[in-house]
Amino acid sequence: MSSGLASDEVAEDYKNSLEDLITNDRFQISNLTVIAKENTEHAMAISRVLENHIRTTPPAQKLPALYVVDSIVKNVGTPYTLFLGRNMYQTFMNAYTLVDSQTRRKLDEMLKTWKEPVPGSLDTRPVFPPDITRSIESALIKARTAALQQQQARGQQEVLGRGRVGTPPGWGNTPTPPQGIPRHPPSMPYSRNGSGHGYQASQGDPRSSSTPQPPQHREVDLAALNRDIEVLITSARADFATNPLDPSVQQRLKALLDLQGILQRQELTQEQLKLVRDQISVLTPKRSTSTPQSYLPNLSNLPNLPAMSATPMAPPAGQPVSQPLQQLLNPGTLAELIKNTAARQQPTPPPQIPNILPQMATNSSIPQPSVTPVPENPLLAALRARGLLPSASAPPAASAVPSANLASAFPLVMPGQVRFTPPVSTPQPSNISNGQLEVQMNTASIKIPRPGLLASLYEAKSNRCGTCGRRFHATEEGKEKKARHLDWHFKTNQRMADAARRAQNRSWYVDERDWIKSREAVDDQNLDTETPNEGATAGDGESAHKGPPKQWIRAPNDATLRNTPCPICQEKFESTWSEDVQDWIWQDAVKVGNRVYHASCYSEVTKDGPTPAQRGTPAGRTGTPDSVLGKRKAAEGVESPGQNARVKTEPM
Amino acid sequence: MSLPGLDLTQATEEREFVPAPPTQISLSKGSEWRFEVAFGTTVRVKLLAGNAELFGTELAPSQTYTFSGTKAAIYTWHGCTLEISAGDRVSAIEGFAPGGSTMTANGTPTTTTTTTTNTSTTGGRGFGAGGCQSEYVAEETPMVEYANVHFALETLRQEAKATGKDGPRVLIVGPDNAGKSSLGKILTAYATKVGRQPIVVNLDPNEGMLSVPGTLTATAFRTMMDVEEGWGSSPMSGPSAVPVKLPLVYFYPMQNPLEAEGSVFRPIVSRLALSVMGRMAEDEDSRETGIIVDTPGVLGQGKPGSLELINHIVTEFSITTILVLGSERLYSTMLKNYDNKPSSSASAAASDECISVVKLPKSGGCVDRDATFMNGLRESQIRTYFFGNPIPSTASAALSLSASSTTNVTLSPHAQQLDFNSLCLYNYTIPSLEEDEDEYDPAQLDAFLPGDAESTPVKEEGSAPPLPGVTGSPPEKSVTPAPSALANSLLAVTHVSPTSSVAQVRDSSIMGFLYVADVDSEKGKIRVLAPIGGRVPPRAVVWGKHWPGEVVGLVG
Repeated sequence: MSSGLASDEVAEDYKNSLEDLITNDRFQISNLTVIAKENTEHAMAISRVLENHIRTTPPAQKLPALYVVDSIVKNVGTPYTLFLGRNMYQTFMNAYTLVDSQTRRKLDEMLKTWKEPVPGSLDTRPVFPPDITRSIESALIKARTAALQQQQARGQQEVLGRGRVGTPPGWGNTPTPPQGIPRHPPSMPYSRNGSGHGYQASQGDPRSSSTPQPPQHREVDLAALNRDIEVLITSARADFATNPLDPSVQQRLKALLDLQGILQRQELTQEQLKLVRDQISVLTPKRSTSTPQSYLPNLSNLPNLPAMSATPMAPPAGQPVSQPLQQLLNPGTLAELIKNTAARQQPTPPPQIPNILPQMATNSSIPQPSVTPVPENPLLAALRARGLLPSASAPPAASAVPSANLASAFPLVMPGQVRFTPPVSTPQPSNISNGQLEVQMNTASIKIPRPGLLASLYEAKSNRCGTCGRRFHATEEGKEKKARHLDWHFKTNQRMADAARRAQNRSWYVDERDWIKSREAVDDQNLDTETPNEGATAGDGESAHKGPPKQWIRAPNDATLRNTPCPICQEKFESTWSEDVQDWIWQDAVKVGNRVYHASCYSEVTKDGPTPAQRGTPAGRTGTPDSVLGKRKAAEGVESPGQNARVKTEPM
Repeated sequence: MSLPGLDLTQATEEREFVPAPPTQISLSKGSEWRFEVAFGTTVRVKLLAGNAELFGTELAPSQTYTFSGTKAAIYTWHGCTLEISAGDRVSAIEGFAPGGSTMTANGTPTTTTTTTTNTSTTGGRGFGAGGCQSEYVAEETPMVEYANVHFALETLRQEAKATGKDGPRVLIVGPDNAGKSSLGKILTAYATKVGRQPIVVNLDPNEGMLSVPGTLTATAFRTMMDVEEGWGSSPMSGPSAVPVKLPLVYFYPMQNPLEAEGSVFRPIVSRLALSVMGRMAEDEDSRETGIIVDTPGVLGQGKPGSLELINHIVTEFSITTILVLGSERLYSTMLKNYDNKPSSSASAAASDECISVVKLPKSGGCVDRDATFMNGLRESQIRTYFFGNPIPSTASAALSLSASSTTNVTLSPHAQQLDFNSLCLYNYTIPSLEEDEDEYDPAQLDAFLPGDAESTPVKEEGSAPPLPGVTGSPPEKSVTPAPSALANSLLAVTHVSPTSSVAQVRDSSIMGFLYVADVDSEKGKIRVLAPIGGRVPPRAVVWGKHWPGEVVGLVG
C-alpha cells in the first residue's frame, strides 16, 4: 500500500535531493537509492526525474547522478531497470558526449558492469537487458571507428585520442583562419545522425535558396530569433564601424549576416532552428554587454521582420561573458545544443563522419570573395560541422558574388549548396523487405529455400523484447513502439498483481456486430485507449479514482477494509454487483489516500464537488495526520462550524 | 482418491516434485526439438542462446516456459541452446493423461537422434529430458516450405495492399494429425510478426481455438500468440500477460462436421463466413492480410460428403489458396477441382483471381494424438474456460506455470441454482447420435434438427421427444422434469432471445457456456457454473449433449 503520497510530490522531493548531489558522495548516493527503493510505486516518476536531472545538470555533476542510476538499478532493480532502461540510450549518450575523457572512462567502466549480473545476486541476468547496453556500446564503437576513419581519410598527422571519441579531432588542413577554428565536437557522430533527419528531406535536392519553405518551421520563435540576430548584427556593425580593419570583427559580422540570411530563407528544420537559437542566445548577452555602443545600423537593407515580443532567451549559466566566439562553439556547448536532436535519433548512428569532414575542409579552403579574405567564418563552419547549416561543398555562386557590400554577403553560403546527405543505414522500417518479395504460391516454388527472406522475421527487427520475445525495428519508430510495449508489460504486470487479489472471470464472448466492429488492441500503442474497463479500475494501491459521472470503486477483498465505515458518516459501504465491471463494487465511494469515503460525503465536506481527483483529503478531521500529506489547507479552508457538526471522529 | 479431476487442488502440487538436473540441448541451424509432455506433468524450457520459435512464435531469451499436456516442437532457424528441466508435477489428472500413471511405458524416445536421456523417473514422468514423455532433435523439417508459404502469402498481401484487393484467403486441409493447426499457428505467428492481422478461422469442432471443443471460431490475430497455450486466451475480467484475443464463437455441438450430412455445420459456416467478410470489409488490416482457415481432419479423409463440405467452405470464404497437408489423394482431388479456377469472391471475375492449390509435406514430428490425449485436451480446454490455468495440467494443449507465475490466471466461475423452467433449452437430436432413431428424416435435415413432432426443422421446445427444451415461450410450456442427463454437460448461451426461431438459434454466435453441475429433477432445479456472476442472460440455450459431452468432476 502506498504511503499515499502523490507521485509528483515524491518526484519533487527526489528532484531536490538530486540537486544537492554535486560530488560523488557515497552517502548521498546510497541515501537516494534507499529513497528510490522505498518508493517503488513511484518508480516511473522517480525515473523521469533522474533522466531529467541527468540531462539538465552541468556536465561535472552528471557522473554522480548516473551513479545514482547505477546504484538504483543494481540495488533495487525492477521496476527501475524497466523505466530507466527505456531511455537509457539517450540518457547515457547525452551525458557521454558532454563529459570529459576521464569521466568517460568511468562511464565506460560503469557500462561494463551493466552487462553483467549484479554482483552477489542470484539472478544471472545482466543489470540492464543486453539490447540496451548493446545499443549504447555499438554507438560508442561506431563513434570511435568514425573518429579513426575520418582521421585516416584526411591523412592527418595529428594525434587523436585513439579509440576515444572524446578527443576532439583537430581542424587539420584548414589554412588557419584568423580566429582559430572551432574544434570538431566530440559528439559529432551522434549529432550527425539526428540532424540527418532534416537533411533527408532535401537530400540530393539542389533546391535554390530562394525556395520558400513551408511555414511549419516557425515553431521555434523565429521572430525572436531574428530579433536577437539583429541585435547581434547591430553590435557587430558598431564594432565594425569603430574598427573596420579588424578581420575578426568583419568575420563575425559576416557570419551573423549569413546566419540571418539563412534564417530568413527558412531553410532550417525545427531542430536546427532550436540549435541556432540556443547559439544565438549564448551570443546575445555577450555582444550586448561588451559592445555598449549605440550605433544604429542601416537596417533598411535587411529584410525587416516584425519583431514580436518574445521572452528573451536566458543565456546558459556559467558561460563566461567575454568568451571569444569560437569558444562559445566549443564541443561541450555544442554537444549540449545537439542533445535535443540527438535524443530523437536512431539507436545506432551510422558512421558518416568521414563524409562531412572533407566537405568542411573544402569549404574552409575556398576563399570567399567577400570583403574579407576569411576562408570560412567559424560560426558557419561550426554550424555546418554540426550539420546545422547545409554544408556548402562548393559554393560557386557565392564565390561569384563580387560584392563588397556587407549586406550582400548574405547569400554567401546559400546558392548552389549541395546538401549533405547522411548515408541512411537504417533498415527499411516498412513491412519486411518490401519489393523483393516474389514468392509464387505453387508447390514447386515453395520448395526453394530462401534464407534471405527469413531476415524479415528476425534480423529486420533486431530489437527484441526480453519478456515476450516480440521484435521491433531498430528504428526510432520501433524504439517508441517498444517503449510503449514495455509500458504495456509493466502495467499489465502491475494490474495482474492487483488482480490477483480479487476474483476474475472469463468474459462473455462478443456478438457478431461487436466482433465486426472491434479492433484488436495493440500493446505498443497508447494504453489509454485500450481496455476501458480496466482503465476505470481503481486498484487497491491506486489513489483516488477519477471517474465522473458516477463514482465507484471495487469492493476491497480484505475483510477489515470491507467493514471499515465511511470516516465521515460512519456508515458502512454496500457492495453491489456491477454488470459493467463484472465485479463487486461500492457505489458512491471514492478512495482518497488510504481511506474510502462516500463520494457524496466527501464532496460535501470538501465543498469542491465531485472532484476527488485533486488528491485532497478532508484532513484535520480524520485524526490521523499521516493519512495524506499536502493539500491540507484546501480542506481546512472549507471547514465551517456547520459542517463540523456532521463530521464524526475517525474511529481509528 | 483419483477420480478424474476431483482433487484438483494446489495443495498436492508439489507433492512429488523432485528437481531433476536441467538438461541442455543444442540445436543446429534448421533443426527442431520435438517433445511430448503428458497431462499432469510439466516441463520447463528456457532459451539460453540463439533464436528459437514454437510454431512460429518466438521464444524470449532467458524466460522460462512451462508446458504440460502438449506435443510440440521448438524450431530454430539460426541455432540455439535450450535448457530443459522438469517442472512441478501436477496432481490427479491421471484420468485423462495419456498413459497417466502408466505413461512410463511410452517414455523412451523414439528416434535415434535423441540427444539426452534423463534418468529422472519420478512419478509419472517420462524418461526424456526434463521428464518429457518423448523428446528428440530432428533435422528434417518442412519449415522451409512453411516459411515460403508465408512469404508467398506476404507477396499476395503486398499486392492486395497495392491494388486494394482482398488479401489471400487460405484454406488448410488434410487428414487428422497432419499438422494443420500447427501450420495455421506458424502462418499466423509469422503474419503477426511482420505486423499483419490475419483472421484465423477454426472449423474443427474437435479442438477449440480460444474456446472449448465444439465451437467454430473466428479471431483476428494481431498480437503475439501464447507460447505455452497455443493460441492464447479469450478475454477475462482481469489482465493477461499475453494479450487476449477476441474470438467470435459459434456452437457446433457435434464432433463430426459431416453429421446429419453437414446440414448443421454448413449454415453455421455460412454465418461465420458472413461475419468474417463483414469484418474484412471494415477492418483494413484484416482485409489486406486475409484469412487462414483450419479444417477438421475428417474432411481430408475422403469420407463421403467431405468434398461437398470443402467446396462449401471454399465458396463461403472465397478461398484463394488451398494448402494440402500430408495427403496425395486429397491433393490431386483439390488440384483437379480448384487449381487455377477463379475464386468465388465477387471481384474474382474482374481481377481474374484464381485459386492455387499447394501441396505441403507433413512434418515428421506429427504424432497421432490418441483418444485419451484428445479427451485430456477436451477436458483441459473446458476447465480452462471456467477456471483459467491455476495449474498447468488444466489448460489447453500447452500450459503455463511460468516461474514468474505471471501467466497463471485463476478464474472464479460462479455457481448458482437455476429454475429449469426458466431456461429456454434447445437440443440437437441427431439420429446417428441418438439411440432412438425413430425421428430421423433426412428430408428435414436442412433445418435445425429433428425432434419436433411435426418433423420440421426442429426446435426442441419443451416438446416431448428425446430432450426437452423447456422454454419460457408460450407454445408448450410443458414442465418436463429436468433430465438428469444434463448433469456434467455444457450449455451454450446464445446471443438470441428465447423466442427466436430454430434457425436463428442454430446460427447464432454464443456468449459463453454454462456447466451443469447438478440436476434435481424433482424440484426442476439445476445447479450451473457460469463464467461470470450475476443473472444468466435470458437467451436461448443450446445443449452440448453429444459434444463436448460430459466432463465429470469439474466442480467438486
